[in-house]
Amino acid sequence: MAITDFTIIRRSLTSRLFSTVTTALTVAIAVGLLLVLLSMMDAGKQAFRRGSGDMHLLVTKEPSALVSVLNGIFYANAPAAPLTAAEVERISADPRVAAAIPTQQGDSYKGMPVMATAAAFFTDFAPTVGQPWALAQGRAFDKPFEVVFGARAAQESGVRLGDTIYLTHGRSDADQNAHVHFDFAYAVVGILAPTGSAHDRAVFTDLTSAWTIHAHDRRERDNPDAETTPDDITDADRLVTGVYVRAATRPGAQAATALAPLAYQLRKEGFMVAEPAKEIDKLFTIVGNINTIFLAMAAVVMVSSAVSIMVALYNSMEQRRRQIAVLRVLGASRARVFGLILTESALLGLLGALAGVALALLGAQLTAGILKARLGILVTPAYPPEWILLVIVTAVALAALAGIVPAIAAYRTSVARNLRPAA
Amino acid sequence: MPQALAIEHLRFRYPGAQRDVLAIDHLTLAPGEQALLTGTSGRGKSTLLYLIAGLIEPDAGRVLVHDQDIHALRGHKRDEFRGRAIGMIFQTFNLLQGFTAAENVMLAMMFSPLPRAEHRPRAHDLLRHLGVDRPDAPPEELSIGQQQRVAVARAVACKPDLVLADEPTASLDPDNALGAMELIQNACRESGAALLCVSHDPAMADRFDRRASLDELSTQAAGEAH
Repeated sequence: MAITDFTIIRRSLTSRLFSTVTTALTVAIAVGLLLVLLSMMDAGKQAFRRGSGDMHLLVTKEPSALVSVLNGIFYANAPAAPLTAAEVERISADPRVAAAIPTQQGDSYKGMPVMATAAAFFTDFAPTVGQPWALAQGRAFDKPFEVVFGARAAQESGVRLGDTIYLTHGRSDADQNAHVHFDFAYAVVGILAPTGSAHDRAVFTDLTSAWTIHAHDRRERDNPDAETTPDDITDADRLVTGVYVRAATRPGAQAATALAPLAYQLRKEGFMVAEPAKEIDKLFTIVGNINTIFLAMAAVVMVSSAVSIMVALYNSMEQRRRQIAVLRVLGASRARVFGLILTESALLGLLGALAGVALALLGAQLTAGILKARLGILVTPAYPPEWILLVIVTAVALAALAGIVPAIAAYRTSVARNLRPAA
Repeated sequence: MPQALAIEHLRFRYPGAQRDVLAIDHLTLAPGEQALLTGTSGRGKSTLLYLIAGLIEPDAGRVLVHDQDIHALRGHKRDEFRGRAIGMIFQTFNLLQGFTAAENVMLAMMFSPLPRAEHRPRAHDLLRHLGVDRPDAPPEELSIGQQQRVAVARAVACKPDLVLADEPTASLDPDNALGAMELIQNACRESGAALLCVSHDPAMADRFDRRASLDELSTQAAGEAH
């Protein structure tokens, strides 16, 4: 094998192994950090994108669209302002509405939100587009006082199929005076497969049970010994806190074109109408500023790693002037020497970037493993190949840029002066 | 047949200096000819070699190596020409660390038109011929004498027209110095290269048919000095 430019670069890197490894490590940490930040940002976004699934509109009586989405889909707080049964019927009667799924929140179990809804919640609504609900165990509820647990809710509470549970009025378990509905026992009939959305933390039951409890609370005020059945429900009890709406779309037509007039109509009727996807995008424009700061920090780390390459190579130039002078005597041009240093710099960046990708993947696997073992949370760390490629290309480009200063020093090395015996 | 080296009206002075350090009107070396150039230190002997190799620019005059005016070549063309037509041997050898003896020789070939497949076998042949026992050892593990042989092999690796030797024996003891000079001269003879050797060692004089002192050559500069 003949000696090539690459041989010279390789020897140069291996002859200063400590410097090479530490410099590459600096790049690796920067690249790893950048990838982890990107993945975290995306994981957050994905988690929010899930949840609203294939729903077009969320109709509530909440004071703001964003709040209605955070409460109605992400269970931030129990929505306060209710819709009446008549209003729900009016919404679902609109010919432009394909599905109107009533939901009602307010109760909790061990701090986990309870979502009372219709059976259609599991059939006409998918928490992630294209991925309908799946049961890990048991079945969906089909009569009052049956509950189905979200995957994480089941894991955290430790309930099993067939267990009997009692729900708490309101969200807070911390409240000593929290009112537990001991009169109404619920049977756990199903546990859902994980969806990766906020719904995994919720407990689902049917509306009739929730309304029965409300009727009971109302009747109990007059008669503490009252026994309440679903037959006692009146229109005053039939309240919901939100309606998930899917618009009817003609085949081939964009849902968005049908949505605008429907949303306009509903708003005119006094409802708060939110398009979850839009609200989440709005949320991320706010959060985006923080992300930008994170990204800027990662960029600074990247740039400082490039500077460390520059410093390492520049310092090595002192020892390499003689080598460069000899190569020039042997027939290497200035441009070739310049290229050697620049390539070496870029190669350092590439080595560091590859190590950084490995670090990020390994770190993600490790974190995922710990999360799964300790908390039972299933996290799939995602680094799309195009990100990895982009980050590697950026690192190499930055490294090459950092190599310009030492490469110029190499270019300008005086041959005659550096061939003389050391004084 | 063109001369291996022809110097015409060469003038060189260091930047800011009052007078020329080198002023050589005429100097030629026939192909394969060997000449010893003497002169006290600081007289510009090394500078002359760097001028001939095109590593520094003269203030006036021409240096022709195998009929090519080396200073008329620009940029990479001059570097390529130097790599192909001129071999250099230094007092401290200037072998590169991190490369084996054979690789040091192959480094000289990588900038030449020699087919790449021939580099390694040719380097090994050359080193064996010049008496290097361990071509795959790094130079710093070799004796001074062996290192010198590697340096000679590197200088003649591309079959140059001209070998420039700058005090090649100055770091050797007198016995080894004579042997080393013999080695350099034989290597140049076998590869057909002319040799211009600068040395201030009077013991070397007998080994060369042609001798010149820089003081004699630099008539003008010497005249000005008086």
